[in-house]
Amino acid sequence: ILARKSPSLMQLVYGESTNNSTSMDEENDSSEDEENGDFFIPKEEIKKQYTRDGLDDGMVHTEDCSKCAKLMSQKWDEKDHGEIRNRFVSGNLAKAARR
Amino acid sequence: MGKTVYKKLKGSQSFRQRLLLSTLSSTPITIEDIRPNQTYSGLAKHEISLLRLFDTVSDGCIVEIYETGTKLKYKPGTIMGGRVNHPFQCDVSRSIGYYLEPLIVLCLFAKEPLNIRLKGITNDSKDPSVDTFKSAAFHILKRFGVDFEAMSLKIESRGLPPNGGGEVVLSLPIVQSLTAVNWIDEGFVKKIRGVTFSTKVSSQFETSMIRAARGVVNPLVSDVHIFTDHRTGPPAGNSPGYGISLVAETTSGCYISVDTAAAHVRDEDTSGLADDVKKDLMPPEEIGEGIANTLLGEIAQSGVIDSSYQGLLFLLCALCPQDVSKVRVGKLSQHGIETLRNIKDFLDLTFIIKPDPDTQSVILKCIGCGMKNLSRKVS
Repeated sequence: ILARKSPSLMQLVYGESTNNSTSMDEENDSSEDEENGDFFIPKEEIKKQYTRDGLDDGMVHTEDCSKCAKLMSQKWDEKDHGEIRNRFVSGNLAKAARR
Repeated sequence: MGKTVYKKLKGSQSFRQRLLLSTLSSTPITIEDIRPNQTYSGLAKHEISLLRLFDTVSDGCIVEIYETGTKLKYKPGTIMGGRVNHPFQCDVSRSIGYYLEPLIVLCLFAKEPLNIRLKGITNDSKDPSVDTFKSAAFHILKRFGVDFEAMSLKIESRGLPPNGGGEVVLSLPIVQSLTAVNWIDEGFVKKIRGVTFSTKVSSQFETSMIRAARGVVNPLVSDVHIFTDHRTGPPAGNSPGYGISLVAETTSGCYISVDTAAAHVRDEDTSGLADDVKKDLMPPEEIGEGIANTLLGEIAQSGVIDSSYQGLLFLLCALCPQDVSKVRVGKLSQHGIETLRNIKDFLDLTFIIKPDPDTQSVILKCIGCGMKNLSRKVS
């Protein structure tokens, strides 16, 4: 029942198809492949190869790192402040509880 | 005595969780195509270091690395834990947090409680710092029934990039099994705690960071205490720098943490050439203000934890007995999504993921895989 409500998130995480909205990076393309006869392999080829192997190419070789919060230089302006204030005990608890 | 069947994996992604889940589920694995087309191909230094760490705390595991390092064979052994007498050097290409993340899950299921001394980098801007492990990660473990009093992480000396020199002592209890959680009340932020540190630089940097951070959070909450930890001499490690970690505690006992550090970059790509070209560090005022804003960003997401620990949270849910766990997190992070996929891959366990329409948050539900500590001595 729950799954029907939210095909998008479940699909984003587990689905085979879908987009690369979560994908990162291009891999370093400087490659010196001496083992295979092919000296230059087009990046698309490599990606295709992974896809054939059933791997979501967006996730291959992404960096193994859990910390994603980057330092935010952007300030919380007055408008945002009203919203975040309700996440604090000093805020409007009734209003926050209603959500 | 059949032939060992290896689960075949590819690529360098999720290396830590693959090793962790392989060990916990006693699934031997092979990983191929580890960075085959990059300038530095094969396993990275920190990954080899991590394999050593797994070897140190377990008994009878077999690691084979092939020719160029692009292929690995790993057969897990028994998780021993216990008191490790020699200090373990964590390669300084990543900070100690990188190693702690899988270690604190692995060794819950060890034969004896772990006590280990880890050397390396205690704080950097890439991995969770040792400070937030104390202030946030341990509280997450506590929720799942891990004895909080038995957990400790003592920072004997701090070490920053590029040369490290930090030293911590970790004590971790074992469990028979975890306890499933129903953890969806994120509560309201009632206080903010934090710690700043400075190594081989003036303690004035800490004062500036604290003042800047307070400028952002004080209008929202008055109960703010940020401690200082100025280090000189050997406890300051080998590199200069400074940094800060903040944690927001909510009325429902959730801990939202953020941290960062300013230090000179590792020159792994230029192998020493960059020694003379030292860029200026980010000014302490910017760091203090930036990290406070980052904390507000995490608080705004209405999760019961901050985004860095999503992976840890999902793993713990999955490793519970066969009971339902329900948790609320903010926006799913890249690492969180990868964790969910790895859990499905190794434990064949799918979470039900539902966005909460009233907030930005996401609610996840799963039934634990029924993990029991098999190594533990039967008393």
